[in-house]
Amino acid sequence: MRSRFLLVPAYALVAAAPAHATVYLSVEQAQALMFPGATLTPESITLTPEQMKAIEKDSGVNVLSPNLKVWRASTGGLFIADQVVGKHEFITFALAIDTQGAVRDVEILEYRETFGDQVRNAAWRAQFTGKTHGAPLKLGDDIKNISGATLSSRHITDGVKRLLATYALVLAHG
Amino acid sequence: MVERARPLLGTTVAIRVERMDEDGAHRAIEAAFAAVAEVHRLMSFHEPDSDLSRLHRARCGTRVPLAAPTADVLREALQLSAWSDGAFDVSIAGRLVAAGLLPPPADTRPPDRGSWRDIELDDEDGVRLARPLWIDLGGIAKGYAVDRAVAALREYGVAQGSVNAGGDLRLLGEGPHFVAIDTGANAGGMDIEPSEQPVLELGEAAVATSHSRHARAAIPHLDGRTLAPAGPGECVTVVAERCIHADALTKVVLALGDASEALLRRYDATAYRQDLHGQWTTLGMPA
Repeated sequence: MRSRFLLVPAYALVAAAPAHATVYLSVEQAQALMFPGATLTPESITLTPEQMKAIEKDSGVNVLSPNLKVWRASTGGLFIADQVVGKHEFITFALAIDTQGAVRDVEILEYRETFGDQVRNAAWRAQFTGKTHGAPLKLGDDIKNISGATLSSRHITDGVKRLLATYALVLAHG
Repeated sequence: MVERARPLLGTTVAIRVERMDEDGAHRAIEAAFAAVAEVHRLMSFHEPDSDLSRLHRARCGTRVPLAAPTADVLREALQLSAWSDGAFDVSIAGRLVAAGLLPPPADTRPPDRGSWRDIELDDEDGVRLARPLWIDLGGIAKGYAVDRAVAALREYGVAQGSVNAGGDLRLLGEGPHFVAIDTGANAGGMDIEPSEQPVLELGEAAVATSHSRHARAAIPHLDGRTLAPAGPGECVTVVAERCIHADALTKVVLALGDASEALLRRYDATAYRQDLHGQWTTLGMPA
């Protein structure tokens, strides 16, 4: 396999933001994909402290926000948009639940992660501002993939567990 | 351009399709995710219905029929075990369980001192364990899932795009594609502030990276012969045609170092290895 190995000075790499962010789908796009042809009606739900406690007990996962973004699909089932926060990442995701309360699909909407200290550390980066020559490689633009960045899905798995408990305890009979 | 990501295989799998109408791209991505989900379902170490869990529950010496994909991966794994003299060994799961790094499979006996040599895979995709052992395909199945996803994309006419399963990835289209390597230098185990970022320029190829630089109790890469950590402090990126080979070979190069040269050539693969001082060397096929 032909390949060329380059060592690019870290300062020549340009990140669009302090953190490397990837937007995969908007909420509307995810809804259209997960419930094709259905009409989705939003429901504004605020969990009571008691409900939050019950969900935490049932799922073993902390509930960070009492506010839920839920849509009911005209064809049956629920669409929930939620977020999880990991050590180095912030992930919004969409969960589709069928009429039986089972997971139909999980789609990641946005993944924001830090990419290495040299990019994470804005102050360190700032000292090189204006010193690049030639065309810098842009993360996420010229460089669309990172090999070796093992992005854990544990937080998403926990988030799904928490939402399934929320469904069983709060939403199923709504 | 359409890109989507789902939590699968214990990581985030991102699939991108370029130069295609949006509906067609979504259909192709859907099929590719289904291919990855199938690998996840069949080859999971944890899920009670996976091929591996069925095999672990079966009595020693009993022939267990495997789904064709599981047999494919096991066949590749055993070939690599033979060629690496056991440095690559999918049967070390017992050691990982004993060390508390994997949960013990339910309803099965703990393994004794079996190795890859005790896994007998026949030509009809049946397998028999000569001694009780646990198989973990975590070091190779991710790459295979990427290959399956790429095959699905191609079936749907995708000519340009990529599949990235948590850093094991494959590129479609002539390129040039640029792939940054996360060497794990920030994960701990190394105390350097990287002033240079390694970047690969590639055509249609597969890339995988593994390192032994985990600060915390992550699942380590073990040398199957000695059960010692493979290549402590090192990072290895492998470029190959198929991702299953790139994925598995990273662990072999961590374990064997310079001695993996001939093996890499057998797979037409190139390895880029960074030692614990930050020095890079190239092994295998000339880049």
